[in-house]
Amino acid sequence: MIHDSIIRERLVTGDKTAADVTRDIARPILNQPSTAWKVGFTLSVIFLGIFALSLFYTLWTGIGVWNINKSVMWGWDITNFVFWVGIGHAGTLISAVLLLFRQKWRMSINRSAEAMTIFAVICAAMFPVFHMGRVWVGYWALPLPNGFGSLWVNFNSPLLWDVFAISTYFSVSLLFWYIGLIPDIATIRDKVTTKGAKFWYGLFSMGWTGSTRTWARYELISLILAGLSTPLVLSVHTIVSTDFATSVIPGWHTTIFPPYFVAGAIFSGFGMVATLLVVARKVMNYENYITIGHLEAMCKIIMVTGSLVGIAYLTEFFIAWYSGVEYEQYAFLNRAFGPYWWAYWSMMSCNLIAPQVFWFKWCRTTPWFIFIMSIVVNVGMWFERFVIIVTSLHRDYLPSSWVMYSGSLTEVGLFLGTFGIFFTCFFLFAKFLPVINMAEVKSILRNRE
Amino acid sequence: MAILDKNLSLRNRNKMLVGVYEDEDNVMHATQSLVDAGIRVHDVYTPYPVHGLDRIMGIRRSRLARVAFFCGLTGLSLAVTMIWYMYVHDWPMNIGNKPERFTPSWIPVMFEATVLCTAFGMGFFFFWRNRMLHGVKNEVLDLRQTDDRMIIAVETQEGMDEKSTLELMKKHGAVELREFHNGVQTIL
Repeated sequence: MIHDSIIRERLVTGDKTAADVTRDIARPILNQPSTAWKVGFTLSVIFLGIFALSLFYTLWTGIGVWNINKSVMWGWDITNFVFWVGIGHAGTLISAVLLLFRQKWRMSINRSAEAMTIFAVICAAMFPVFHMGRVWVGYWALPLPNGFGSLWVNFNSPLLWDVFAISTYFSVSLLFWYIGLIPDIATIRDKVTTKGAKFWYGLFSMGWTGSTRTWARYELISLILAGLSTPLVLSVHTIVSTDFATSVIPGWHTTIFPPYFVAGAIFSGFGMVATLLVVARKVMNYENYITIGHLEAMCKIIMVTGSLVGIAYLTEFFIAWYSGVEYEQYAFLNRAFGPYWWAYWSMMSCNLIAPQVFWFKWCRTTPWFIFIMSIVVNVGMWFERFVIIVTSLHRDYLPSSWVMYSGSLTEVGLFLGTFGIFFTCFFLFAKFLPVINMAEVKSILRNRE
Repeated sequence: MAILDKNLSLRNRNKMLVGVYEDEDNVMHATQSLVDAGIRVHDVYTPYPVHGLDRIMGIRRSRLARVAFFCGLTGLSLAVTMIWYMYVHDWPMNIGNKPERFTPSWIPVMFEATVLCTAFGMGFFFFWRNRMLHGVKNEVLDLRQTDDRMIIAVETQEGMDEKSTLELMKKHGAVELREFHNGVQTIL
């Protein structure tokens, strides 16, 4: 007997049974890739090629092929780093924070969001690593015994905290994602017919049988990992913000940075999740699983976090005036009305003004419109980091060292190339692993109270 | 106490009575009535977590949270020891005249190391306890138990009334009954 809730709408539509869920979600894995997949994958590999070329040119010739200079030493590079790290955060937020708050709508979107986290962190890590110039000595950032006297890493430096934070974040997210995947890999293992597929899915399913004893512990480990990931994700972006906030550069040296960066990260991450899922639900026929209700919930989060970020922009401006520090005041006036005014106003309009359209239900429930808005959010958040980094650095305390900065072709190539890394990984993931958490979705087919 | 849960392997067991179900409510009722009749349910295999089933079967609450706590403490002590050794003991560095002993700037690394050790320590013990390892042979009783079927497995004991056990399973909606012995399944 099915007891249906009369007040909540169903999270999965189309009267699906557990067998339907397996069939629908495993379809891309069990069948030949579709034309859409092939086209998308080819495009992604082309962009991956752009990344490889730009990187080869950078390494072969030297870091001078970037336009960074002695004043703007962090240009597109660190902008892109913060941009990608921020995008990664929505994955953890969806799976961990929404799990702690028992939000069941997360179940259709958490898997792809977590995958996005991992791929985005890979893209992010490229930038600080290659910004070092001599990447072959990158291991100096690790606390390893070394042959340079007894010199160790500097534990006072936020850049070192970043090394710990990003690597912990990446590995814990990977573990969380993998543990969540095991039951679904086992489902695929029991469905595939070829010998090779049986072997690989068998290997990664680790002998999963769906025993109640294992499920009980599995649920507990998911809960504790969620509890750990939540402060972890906050710490990661807080630490990224301290890269800026602990310096004495006007425009960076502000205490608002940690919460402001975290809100921005959630905002941009949800923007990217919306971009991916609006397309994926259509192309992969997952409209019954990722419903308009899911898109609407994400739009609400985008609107709230966009407004939080907007308040942070205004607060920053106010505090710059209120502080009475002329350098701080100049830095902010220069942002809004200096030579980079176009970047500042792009940021303001994309992040503060544009998401306000989500007050209207039509805007929250129309997929093509959400897709356009999600792109706007991504563009706006890229500009935010560009504004913070470039406008604060291009005019320092000595007017004789004022310079202008724009990214070189190689820097642009590296940035576009990371989209190649991201989407190549994502397309491979969509082909070989279930994009939606089948086991969790099966548990919410009935709308129980 | 052994860490590995011995209940998870199906090897070297007496004959098993297997009931196949399609509905989670039926599985719950069947398991409850088997337990009420004094029959030990060996395990229930489900494609998704069915809440409450572990309590009906009388499975003890996992102590993974305590494991997590001790892994976290280990991580924290490792981090403090590492920073103290490198920064205070082995090669003190004067950076901006900041104090060299404990300062708040140690906290981020301490925190990250705690989280890292907790997550991986807990993962390690989770896999160990659940007999999960790359390459472990999967012992599924039915290929659809990871898809849409739910399986109740009862291990026969000396003097057990097999017929009434099977009838009890059937009564609560089993769509199929089977026997499993030495790796061979027989449909009843």
